[in-house]
Amino acid sequence: MLEVNVAYLTESERELILEVLRRDEELRRVEEMRVRKLKMDVLDMKRKGAKRGSGKYSERSCGRCQEPLGRLLGTASQCRVCKHHVCRNCRLVRPNGPWVCTVCAREADVKKSSGDWFYDQRVNRFSTTPGHDIVRASLKKRPPIKKRETAGELLLNNSGLKASQPAPAAPAAPVPRPRKKEHAPSHKGQLLDAVGQPESQEPQRSDTESAEKFSLCSSSRTDTESSHSTPALPRKVPASPQHSPAGSTASSLTAAPAKPSRSPSPLPQSEKTETASLKHQLNQSTNLVEPEVDGLFKRSVRRVHKISDRRPISTLDLRVDGARSSQGSMGDRSKSVPGLNVTDDEEDEDIDNLVNIHRKTMGDSSLSLRSSQSTLGSMMSVYSEAGDYDCVEVTGDIVFSVGFQERSQTLSVLVKECRGLAYADAAKQRCNPYVKCYLLPDKSRQGKKKTAIKRNTVNPLYNETLKYSISRSQVTTRTLQLSVWHYDRFGRNAFLGEVEIPMDCHDIDSAHEQCVALRGKVVSSPHHTPFSQYKGELVVSLKYVTAKHTSPDKSKAGKKGKTEGGAELHVLIKEAKNLTAMKAGGTSDSFVKGYLLSSKNKSTKRKTPVVKKTLNPHYDHTFVYKDVSPEQLTGMCLELTVWDREALSSNDFLGGVRLSSGAVTLNSGSSEWLAESSPEEASLWQRVMQYPDSWAEGTLPLRATMGKSK
Amino acid sequence: MTDGDYDYLIKLLALGDSGVGKTTFLYRYTDNKFNPKFITTVGIDFREKRVVYTANSPNGTTGKSFKVHLQLWDTAGQERFRSLTTAFFRDAMGFLLMFDLTSQQSFLNVRNWMSQLQANAYCENPDIVLVGNKADLSDQREVQEKQAKELADKYGIPYFETSAATGTDVDKAVVTLLDLVMKRMEQCVDKPAAEAQNGEGTSKLDAPPVNEKKCAC
Repeated sequence: MLEVNVAYLTESERELILEVLRRDEELRRVEEMRVRKLKMDVLDMKRKGAKRGSGKYSERSCGRCQEPLGRLLGTASQCRVCKHHVCRNCRLVRPNGPWVCTVCAREADVKKSSGDWFYDQRVNRFSTTPGHDIVRASLKKRPPIKKRETAGELLLNNSGLKASQPAPAAPAAPVPRPRKKEHAPSHKGQLLDAVGQPESQEPQRSDTESAEKFSLCSSSRTDTESSHSTPALPRKVPASPQHSPAGSTASSLTAAPAKPSRSPSPLPQSEKTETASLKHQLNQSTNLVEPEVDGLFKRSVRRVHKISDRRPISTLDLRVDGARSSQGSMGDRSKSVPGLNVTDDEEDEDIDNLVNIHRKTMGDSSLSLRSSQSTLGSMMSVYSEAGDYDCVEVTGDIVFSVGFQERSQTLSVLVKECRGLAYADAAKQRCNPYVKCYLLPDKSRQGKKKTAIKRNTVNPLYNETLKYSISRSQVTTRTLQLSVWHYDRFGRNAFLGEVEIPMDCHDIDSAHEQCVALRGKVVSSPHHTPFSQYKGELVVSLKYVTAKHTSPDKSKAGKKGKTEGGAELHVLIKEAKNLTAMKAGGTSDSFVKGYLLSSKNKSTKRKTPVVKKTLNPHYDHTFVYKDVSPEQLTGMCLELTVWDREALSSNDFLGGVRLSSGAVTLNSGSSEWLAESSPEEASLWQRVMQYPDSWAEGTLPLRATMGKSK
Repeated sequence: MTDGDYDYLIKLLALGDSGVGKTTFLYRYTDNKFNPKFITTVGIDFREKRVVYTANSPNGTTGKSFKVHLQLWDTAGQERFRSLTTAFFRDAMGFLLMFDLTSQQSFLNVRNWMSQLQANAYCENPDIVLVGNKADLSDQREVQEKQAKELADKYGIPYFETSAATGTDVDKAVVTLLDLVMKRMEQCVDKPAAEAQNGEGTSKLDAPPVNEKKCAC
């Protein structure tokens, strides 16, 4: 991290520099907004109308505009980057290379115009802290180095303690939040302590200069807190209430920080004047404070700054989120420590296991009452996403209409009938079809609606209306997915086909009847990546650490002949974006699980702590895999899967990534399977191997299924 | 003052000994004015300028034009600000390394600045332009063009002799640097795409990392 000593500056110099930094902040804010817009645009473009993966779409239509393609398909019509087949209109010829599709071209443009090309490189350079530091940092939940952070920003926000910042949601933060609030509990806590034991062993620090050192930072911080707006910063974590004994002392303390913002140039205020002003207000508003407390208080303030300087555990522990799971964060943390989680045998959500368990349950319950059927059906959909269902040749059409009722704010999906479905079991001519409906991207249980099951027919007549309470503006962001399934009480359900209708370009007022041909999921085909549905993204940073004592600058040189003793793979799980909502209220309690799979070794599991109630969780957690030789690395596959934590039932799969050098054959149990990575995944893995000892960061789209090709 | 109506925000930084004319150079560039008074820069400062950048396609035809917002960081040359100024090196995409043509010492210090850059910039070989300023004071000249040119060649960077007083080659130096940065940007972003076509199944771990002259992303 960047540490800048500003102790030697005079007050007027600080003022000048602060002025510059404020101008810089202004520019950064404008830039931030511009970049956000750019990124939103490209995301929109990616989602709208275009295929989200080669999955469910016909090979014979353009991956971007969905226009039908000519008969002759070949690599000639494939975009080099995303591998979609693309029509001529959706291609862009780059000046110094072959053509790419419009979306990939746009993504590249955004990488340039947003400055990400620069920040990506810089990340690789400046996070070369030794691995154990990262682990320690991750244990302490230290916020990670932010990619786009600049020196100016850092200085302005005080490089040390100001880890927690106001929530990113408020760009213009109209309410000047007294950010000092965070400190207040510590002040108070210490105040009370001090009162409790009057001659507390508070070390008398000769720290006039250390107070001085912080005065620039602290005054700059208070000054800018009302206008600060950096969305990339971590969430503000409220101090837990138990640390702040309520009372008028508390309120006056929290009110105090408002003071500096009133003065036009807060800079010249030294620590002492600030303390004095706090003290003053304290006395004025409450008259509670005894005279001798003043001295103690003054000291305690200083002490707080000291603490913030070294960024130790005690301050950070105050930040432990109330929302954070009560289930012992310590236990979760310990999991990243290598060796500690060897015996971590708590319910394993490996998809294979899940499926096995599920099969058993299905078998058992089929003997019991039929009332359990609906629950099981729900379970089914979880597994169907993980790729466990029978597949048949898809035929037939589905007839339905979609209408929006303004008055009740309801979207009604009338499922009329299906025609000419395929038999789930062609030999026995069996087919018990039902229709399942989602408004994607919501794949939560609440968002799932189903029709009744029709027995022994391939032309089922439903005439059922499935209703969603949703606002009109929300509807346009959704995609209606109707899938037809064969219900099999004793075996596996079979997928009979589906349709997806993006609601943004659909006329939802006329409610006219539509007949659409069903199509298949192509997930089981080995030639397709399972990015059939947008599941959000996972931001990870990986580093292959070759040896323990490598000097940071020369480490790249003599890599070749180095022994792999102590070589480690570090996987920093930073955050996930746009996860699917699983819980009521449109959130998920997610965590990431990692498996490093190789052909020989048994897989090694790592887990992050659960981050609750958000679809954009910041995990900032490092998995360390020890003793990984370069040769092993080449043949390995790192599977990272995101799960929604369910306390009472099995966890829900939210998506995953599979990092490998392209395609590796692995053994799972007795069977061999081929782990295939998408170009994006493979390129990140390659960067890890190609540039050992530096971080390779990537934002990877989550797979909707981890289906394995045998 | 600024709106978001530009295509790229490019951050450049001027560095060099105290008094070589970094501030006046930038002032000349952004405002086309000259201030002969010496006012030492306190720590850091920056100026802004909006320019239009026209990319040249490899085949020689002029390509698209972009609006570029330049943020030109000015740093204090004085030693006492060193820890502050070097902290800003990592945020810049390109560097104007300046010395005073009338001061041999400032030229000798180029070497030090260069190693400062290598240690603190966003990568080990950032885009740099070497600038010998005060070319108008020919009678006081202490550094010969040949000397400076040789040093620049050694580092593989362009060299310009400028005068903030007359404006000679000030624009040219900045534009050259901007061009280098824009080219690197193109290379950074388009290279991975070009790699993808070469097949993605090959791993290069055993090969020593390619020490290309340009970016390593």
